[in-house]
Parts: sequence; structure tokens; C-alpha cells
Amino acid sequence: MHYRDLREFLSLLEQENQLVRIKESVMPEPDLGAIGRAAPNLENGPAVFVEKIKGYKNSLVLNVQGSWQNHALMLNLPKDTSIKEQFFALDRLWNDYPVKPVWVTEKDAPVKENKIKEDINLFDILPLFRINKFDGGFFISKGAVISKDPEAPDDFNKENAGIYRIQVKGKDLVGIQALPFHDIAVHLRKAEESNEPLPVAICIGNDPLLNFMASTPIEYAQSEYDFTGALKGAPIELVKSETGDLDVPARSEIVLEGNILPRVRKIEGPFGEFPGSYSGARLQCEIRIHTITHRTNPIFENLYLGIPWTEIDYLLALNTSLPLYRQLKKDFPEVVAVNAMYTHGIGVIISTKSRLGGYGKAVAMRLLSTPHGMPYSKIVIVVDEFVDPFNLPQVMWAMTTRVRPSKDVVLIPNAPGMPLDPSSEPAGMQTKMIIDATTPVAPDVGRETELLEVPEKTEFWLDYLKRAMRKER
Amino acid sequence: MICPRCDSDAAELLVKAPVENAWEVYLCDACNFTWRSTESEEITDPARYDRRFKIDPLSIPDLPVIPPIPKLVK
Repeated sequence: MHYRDLREFLSLLEQENQLVRIKESVMPEPDLGAIGRAAPNLENGPAVFVEKIKGYKNSLVLNVQGSWQNHALMLNLPKDTSIKEQFFALDRLWNDYPVKPVWVTEKDAPVKENKIKEDINLFDILPLFRINKFDGGFFISKGAVISKDPEAPDDFNKENAGIYRIQVKGKDLVGIQALPFHDIAVHLRKAEESNEPLPVAICIGNDPLLNFMASTPIEYAQSEYDFTGALKGAPIELVKSETGDLDVPARSEIVLEGNILPRVRKIEGPFGEFPGSYSGARLQCEIRIHTITHRTNPIFENLYLGIPWTEIDYLLALNTSLPLYRQLKKDFPEVVAVNAMYTHGIGVIISTKSRLGGYGKAVAMRLLSTPHGMPYSKIVIVVDEFVDPFNLPQVMWAMTTRVRPSKDVVLIPNAPGMPLDPSSEPAGMQTKMIIDATTPVAPDVGRETELLEVPEKTEFWLDYLKRAMRKER
Repeated sequence: MICPRCDSDAAELLVKAPVENAWEVYLCDACNFTWRSTESEEITDPARYDRRFKIDPLSIPDLPVIPPIPKLVK
């Protein structure tokens, strides 16, 4: 384990030249949104630590996970690890679930260093800013919201950590988007059926692996904390919240504690969303914040999202791909890897060996009937087992030299679609497209082709050059 | 104060900058829009706020409810 919390991870990024500090004072608008947009535009997008924001006391960090280099460092891998290698590393770590957390006392929990229980003013602690120009307000876009199942308060596995968009609507009032398929909506429904407030803790400035898992669609009764431990290779440290009997990360920067007001819905949004367009205004839930605990000199971590790729795409990338890979692999062992990184799996590339003619299409149809693929996936490309699905030039090579459009492109009209995909029409319906770019095998027939071979000793020289680039030679 | 987004006369000072007296943030009680005094006129001026994102206060009760409010269960 190379880091224990956000601060230690930022130090690691700085050592690896993956963090930029801005020391001069910047304006909240338009600078902070612009920084969040600019950083992932760079090939090796750094985290950006903004030390001073005009009018605010505390600092801000953006783009913590906004490059494959930072993503690799998060997984304790060398920063030049390829995406495919990161995918397989994540697959191996997934097997270690669960690694149970440990609970520490208050004196060992930095998040308890400061406590505010009256005169709450979020602007005192958080340097809030407008992320995209026509957002309806200032949003907390990278807070992990902790809540419990009111019917099973002692079932740790059902305690949820999820990242939901949060709009600041007052000094102590925020709105939250809980979509019906989100786990928190299950907790909320049970609370609202008995007209009870739902206690929540909004955790900000977390271990990056917790934010990664809080963005991952795992099962209802699987614990994000136990998964975080598995990916870290060590338990995450938790402490009890001040009220509401919630478990919160002991080493996070800031925890906002409050209650979702039962049976209340007020206008929220619009907000620039992950498909790269605004989602409209809706009537959504509100949370009254009654307690803040925070580390001394807390760091506000927030996330910019825009037309892909921005930081959010790294939080919807391998964690979308991996569950799909595992579901396919069960029945189609020839599948080598799945890249579902494009707009949360709306676009997917599968690499597989073909057992028989038409196999690529069969694998694609299975993907389109998985729980995630059914509504989300629209364009499925299937490539041979020796094509790296994370290497788009290779995928384009397969498309240009393997696809026979009259046989290999299939459209399935009027199938389930993802409502946030602006091309879904009506919202929630979509035509699916399969492009089979695998080489035909019997009983299918294709022209005889002899592929070029990789020269002997290429692996040796690849390793040599990589180490030379890392200055190990 | 007039809200730049919904044109209601329902906006009030929400908060002043914690330090430096650098800006104020306003909140509209009708449409929950918030803005900072130092933002561009395209955000702060009701006449210049982009029409595509204007909100009609009368339409607010008809917006979709997310998630739906369940029936009370004894």
C-alpha cells in the first residue's frame, strides 16, 4: 500500500510529476471550470492543486483521476502501465473482495480534527464554483454519499457509498439526484414510506479508490468499503459519524452530515452531465446539513465533467468494463477483454477468439442482454483475440480489414436504450448496432489471408525501451 | 432582486465571501438559481441570460419528480 488517503496520494502524484500546483489566486468563475476542462486535455493529465481561490479560505484539487497515468498510480502500478494491463490488474484485485475495514477511535481519525455543529455555512469550508456555464448553481460533483437501509441498519453490506450530483442551495441546504435505480433511492423509499428523514454523510476528499468504487455499479448488498480494501490491498479506516450511526472514512478531508427531508422535492439543475450535454431541471430531494467535521486546512476535491474525455470518464471506464467482461467470460471463455469505456458503455469493444462462424455476433448479442448492456450499449464492435480492444488504432485496423459490411454489420431496431443518450428516441429506446470485425472461421468463409508476424525479440526490445524511458538504464 | 434565470423578484443575498470581501452569492427563492456577483453578465443580467436555459416559474410544479414519492405505509 503506497498511500493511505487523498493527501498521501497527492504527494505520490507530485513525486511522479503528475500534479501541478497553482500558487497565484484565481477566480472561482470561469477559472476553476476551465482548469478542470484543460487538465484532462493533456496527454498525461495531471491533478491540479489550486492553493488560493479569490474570496475563499481553503484550497481545491481537480482532476485527481483524470489520466491513465493517475489511474495507474491509484492502482499502485507504474504510471506508464497500459490500459489493458490496468484492466487485468483490476480483474485480479477484484478477486480479493471482501477486505473488511477497521474502525479507529476519534483521536486516530483526522476527519474529526474540527467539528462544526451550529451556524453551518458550506461556503466557509468549501470553495464552491460553477462547473459548467448553465448549471443551475454550484455543484459538489465528487462527494461519496453514505446511507443505510432503514430496514437493516445493522447490515454493513447494505450501507451504501455512491457519488451523486449535489447542488448547493443554501448555507446548510443541498439538493441531491437519487435516480430510481441508484442504491440510495432504495434507502430513501423505505424512509419516505414511513415519513422519516434519511441520515446521510457526504464525504469529500476521499481515498481515490473509495471514489472509484463509489462510482462502480456493484450489487446492492456488496460493500464499497470492502471493495476499496480489496483494491488497496489493505483495510480502509472508518470512524462513526457524529449522528445517524453511519460509517465514514476516518482519513477523508470533509464530511457533511445531514438528513434527506422526507417527501420533499424541489427544483434542481440543469447540470452538465456525462454524455457531454445538460440534463434538464427536475424536482429532486433536499438534504439539510447539521454537522460538518473536517481535517485542519481541508482540501476540497471536486470533478469537472464535459464532452468526453474528462475526469468522469476515467471513473466510468474500467469499472464499467470489468463486470461486463466477467459476465461474458462465464459462458464465452474465449473472450479476452472488454473495453466498455465509451460514455459508460454506450460504445463497447470486445476481443474474442472465434469458436465457430458467427461467434463474434453471438458474443455481442450476449453483451446486449447483460443487465448493463441491455439499456446502455448501443454500438458493439467485436475484434479478434490478438487485437487489443483498448488500442483504438488496432481496432480501426480490424474494422478496415476484416468487416464485410453486407454480412458483418447488424442493426436491431427498437431495443432498450439509455435515456441520457441524446440520440435515444424516444428516450429509453434505441437501435443497437453490432460490427463483427473478427476473421471468419468455419463454417463461415473468408479470403485466405496470411498476417504479418511480430519479429523475434520484439518483447525484449519493448521492455528495454520502456525501461530506458523510465531511466532505469 | 430579480433572478437572471427566471426573472422572479425573489432573489436575495445568500452569502458574502468568507475572506477579502471579494464577492456575494445570491439565491433565487423561486427557482433555486444561485450566482456570484463576479460572474459574467451572461449569468448575472436577466436580459442577457441565455433564453435556452431560462425557467418559467409557473412551469416548476410540472417538472418531473425524481425519484417518485412513495405511498405512506403504516
